[in-house]
Amino acid sequence: MTLLNAKTPYLKKETSVSSMMRDTLTALAFLLVLPVARYGARPLAMAAVTLVACVLCEIAWSLLQSRSINTSDCSSMVTGLIIVMLMPLNAPLWLPCAAAAFAILVAKKPFGSTGHTPFNPAAAGMAFITLLWPQRIFSYFNPSAGEVLPVFADCNVETAPSPAAVLKNGLKPDILPFDMLWGVFAGPVGATGILVLCACGLYLFLKRTANWEITAGCLFAGAVMAALWPRIACAPLTSIKYELMSGSLLFCAVFMLTDPVTSPRTGFGRVLYGLLAGVLIMLFRRYGAYEQGAWFAILLANAVVPQINSLVCGDRRWGEELYEE
Amino acid sequence: MILRHGIKLDQQKAASLRHKIQDLPTAENQKKTEWLPLRKGELNSNAIIAAAQAAGIVDEFDGVPLFRKLKKLRRLKPDMIVACCFDEDPCTTSAMATLRENTNAIIAGLVLAGKACGAKENKIAVATKHEAKMIQKINPQADLILAGEMYPARALLKRKLFANRKNAAYIGAQACAALLAAIDDGEPQTSTVVTVAGDGVEHWRNVRARIGTPLKELLEFCGLSEKTSLVVTGSSITGRAVTDLNEPIAATTRCVIALKKAPNYKEYPCIGCQRCARACPRGIVPWKIQQEMQNAKPNLVRLTNVQKCIRCAACTVACPSGIDLTGAVRKAAQLKKSGDFIDIT
Repeated sequence: MTLLNAKTPYLKKETSVSSMMRDTLTALAFLLVLPVARYGARPLAMAAVTLVACVLCEIAWSLLQSRSINTSDCSSMVTGLIIVMLMPLNAPLWLPCAAAAFAILVAKKPFGSTGHTPFNPAAAGMAFITLLWPQRIFSYFNPSAGEVLPVFADCNVETAPSPAAVLKNGLKPDILPFDMLWGVFAGPVGATGILVLCACGLYLFLKRTANWEITAGCLFAGAVMAALWPRIACAPLTSIKYELMSGSLLFCAVFMLTDPVTSPRTGFGRVLYGLLAGVLIMLFRRYGAYEQGAWFAILLANAVVPQINSLVCGDRRWGEELYEE
Repeated sequence: MILRHGIKLDQQKAASLRHKIQDLPTAENQKKTEWLPLRKGELNSNAIIAAAQAAGIVDEFDGVPLFRKLKKLRRLKPDMIVACCFDEDPCTTSAMATLRENTNAIIAGLVLAGKACGAKENKIAVATKHEAKMIQKINPQADLILAGEMYPARALLKRKLFANRKNAAYIGAQACAALLAAIDDGEPQTSTVVTVAGDGVEHWRNVRARIGTPLKELLEFCGLSEKTSLVVTGSSITGRAVTDLNEPIAATTRCVIALKKAPNYKEYPCIGCQRCARACPRGIVPWKIQQEMQNAKPNLVRLTNVQKCIRCAACTVACPSGIDLTGAVRKAAQLKKSGDFIDIT
């Protein structure tokens, strides 16, 4: 019997980077349940195609750099699924693939993969295709028309303005509150089911995979902006309701802002980052050219993160009682 | 932010707690225990400390001879003395099993230790409420406090008591029992309770073994598998891999873990999840230390609190990226202590 001289610790860890990424993947997969139940297999096809594109891009980059291929940390899949969730269901399947390719090949891999990305790759990919094909990103099909979507082929279906677009035009969206909670309105694949989103967020916070400070900060800032400066003539609470539930604010606050790599590392810094991102998202909605530009806001907020990190001193923790050894 | 420190580990204590402590059969030719002469006269602080010295008792938690510890404590005058009857390590149960089987001996030993160092309060620290109920059933007079199941429980208990303005001293469960045996019967400390665990042994047991017995005998008594490739003494978090099974059991060996396969960690870059800072019971921010230590010339001012590290390795266990944060903090502490401003290797 030969005994090894292995390094500590000798117990199996429960959390690793790949298990955290798998938690996020699980939460994202749950978001697909409602669209699949309602509109058939197209969301699944879209997700599968994008995931394959992500993994292929990752492998291609590894080959280009002549490094060993390692996709075990699942981070590229998370990027891919986030992109799918932000797509309209009637978008051609090459559109999320283009976003994923940009995200992996330009925003993630050249910086040194997971742990080194200064900008959220999914946000970068979305920003890229928003600039190139804005009409395709923001033309959502009408879920109440009852049309069946083809699984793989491009679809020409009746489109409807999303609540975010209606708000942008200064009108009040005409949607029942119940439909709004269950996501029966024109919008991105995964960002409409508000109740499912809340459940997924709760799951991630309880698993400590995502930080609730960021999401809370972002939603608070968004709500305050919506209450103080409503875009439509209505009561502050109504304005908050429509602003938080329309577009992809909630989705971005739960899944994109909480990416630990691109967010600040101290508790106070995270709150600050969330607030900043919330304000930026609302400003993009109000003054931006598109009906919403949450990903642009996230990229801008990411750019500020190093400053927040060095501004907020994290060397000591506050309110600690330390005994002397 | 919810201020919850430490990390929760997957507890695997049930298997070794199912059986009573078993005695490891000793070889025929081994020397019989020489009993000490019984002490006569008044039992004061000096007599207790002298008895602990004569019996050669060692505190199993920190490896300090008990008489030296008691002398130091007598000088420091603690308000409270706490017997640590919980095991931080997820598969060690030696302290818990000792408490379950020798509850009254530990309480009596603790009272003696309290008398020796002049502490007014005596408390027994146990891990869970369930454990506390069990001990209350055996001895309703036992004065218990909960240490919790978060790792590192000992450091967190110290923190908790310090925050409650209690000046507490800590003593091991087996040392308490040995102190009573030394004073009542004149018995020197010759044996220690060791938990044998891991998938490399057939029976997970608590075994009372003579100090100095080779680890081989102990492991074979518990059914050592041929496929074992890693034997760890101490704990699965801060322990040490053993390469020679003839190594003797020491008084501080509370656990021997035999594993068929060494766990393999993939190392990723830091993703900034803050788990290490949350796990640390001493207020260190390990990722920041690690980041600073990666620089060619670390700035000593930025290595905050590193000298407070107690090497519990909670940060390394908590890290999802598998980074050796404890190593970085240790290097930083060495650097800070040495005052070496120019070159570190």
